[in-house]
Amino acid sequence: MSWEEILEAQQRSLAHLRSVYREDAETVIADARYGFISGLMKETLRKPAIERRSISDSIDKVLVNRWLGLFIFLALLYGVFQFTFTASVPLMDWIDEGFGWLADEAGSISPAWLGSFIGDGIFGGVGSVLMFVPPIFLLFLALAFLEDCGYLARAAFVMDRLMHRIGLHGRSFIPLVLGFGCNVPAIMATRTIENPKDRLTTILINPFMSCGARLPIYILFAGAFFTSHQGLVVFSMYAIGIILATIMALVLRKTLLRGPSGHFVMELPPYRLPTITGLLMHTWERGKVFLIRAGTIIFAIVVLVWLLDYTGALEPIGRAIAPVFSPLGFGQWQAAVALVFGFLAKEVVVGTFGTLFAGAEGLGDLGDVVGLELAWTPLIAFGFMAFCLIYVPCVATIAIIRRETNSWRWPAFTVGYTIAIGWIVAMLIYQIGSLFT
Amino acid sequence: MPTKLLSELKPGEKGKIARVRGGGSIHRRLLDMGLVSGSEVNVVRVAPLGDPMQVRIKGYHLTLRKEEAANIQVEVT
Repeated sequence: MSWEEILEAQQRSLAHLRSVYREDAETVIADARYGFISGLMKETLRKPAIERRSISDSIDKVLVNRWLGLFIFLALLYGVFQFTFTASVPLMDWIDEGFGWLADEAGSISPAWLGSFIGDGIFGGVGSVLMFVPPIFLLFLALAFLEDCGYLARAAFVMDRLMHRIGLHGRSFIPLVLGFGCNVPAIMATRTIENPKDRLTTILINPFMSCGARLPIYILFAGAFFTSHQGLVVFSMYAIGIILATIMALVLRKTLLRGPSGHFVMELPPYRLPTITGLLMHTWERGKVFLIRAGTIIFAIVVLVWLLDYTGALEPIGRAIAPVFSPLGFGQWQAAVALVFGFLAKEVVVGTFGTLFAGAEGLGDLGDVVGLELAWTPLIAFGFMAFCLIYVPCVATIAIIRRETNSWRWPAFTVGYTIAIGWIVAMLIYQIGSLFT
Repeated sequence: MPTKLLSELKPGEKGKIARVRGGGSIHRRLLDMGLVSGSEVNVVRVAPLGDPMQVRIKGYHLTLRKEEAANIQVEVT
């Protein structure tokens, strides 16, 4: 049979079905399928006379309550972050102290260059990255709990109206929250979004969700320049990211990614108690991406930074790029070097400053030393933090965008537009701020 | 019996699906999820921001936006 004959036969059957049932074929098939199912159920299933209100219904009555649902959602989200940061502080301290000790011990290895390489390069650099393993894994653990117990489907239900209004989908919400941990697994999580344009928009705005690797930059400079308003300044970075993500989603959905948004017809599964194995599996699946990144890309960069610094090649590189950042207030070669390496991984910004100002003792002191040596004002530091938030997500994120969109076009677009927006925002902060100070 | 659109039903109201309109992928999706004529449907609640809605059908809970529920005609019971 040729394809024309097949097509003709199909059209004939469709017309026949329509004339007999006065319905289109899809409806006829669905009706027949569900008719068969309900017949089967009548023959085999015995239901109790009165249906009991299930536990799940009672939980829903509270959690997605018409009046309190939104507040409960926000409270749970706040709880997740609170849990993540409180629980990870002691673990981070141990890792910090452990690697500090290792670095000191390695420093006495001779010859001196080898000691410096192992101590400052490997233990110092990789240690500063591994410090972020606890918060990232704990965030993923908390979200895995909400997902496995069935609440994340409710979160999509609660948030869909807002997400839909900015051209996204209820399911976009979860990947965006995961982005606060690490953008790489967050972008992988967009696979649950069926509509291609919804999914692509969610991928492209994800880098604005300030990941765990950007936090040390905020902590460093908020601690040194905004002693009495540290929390507020760090929070404002997250807020700037969310505002930019919202604006970009609206813009993308009206320009490059115009078109109808996907449906929101989905099951709300009954609540279940998560299993430990399930939780650990989900956490590990997402968290291991960060570990692999720390072990490969970040390790390589740390070695490269150490090598360039040891041979004195860093300064000329920095001086060549620095003028680009002059209108932003941080046109010093050290800042330029830190930002170039931050392209590879954001946490390296802090590590690079650490290498360049090797005299500083600990994070708190490093911020003061940077401020003193580069003559930064709080305004410049704020602009620098904003630029770090916005400009190019790390290489690993670019690589995952390439893989998930299967083209070089979108990762290239992401690099270009995030640098442009970052430069404009930091420039506005510095130039407008300078008028008032 | 009066027919209404599913999107017009209030929480606590129920009915029997009379017809599923609309074309293309949304039609197929609604049918796939069991929203076929003759099925009993209960509106359980509306999301805190007023949309989407949560309905009970064939013994499970489903959520859909009001614009999607407007494709479904229901005989109110």
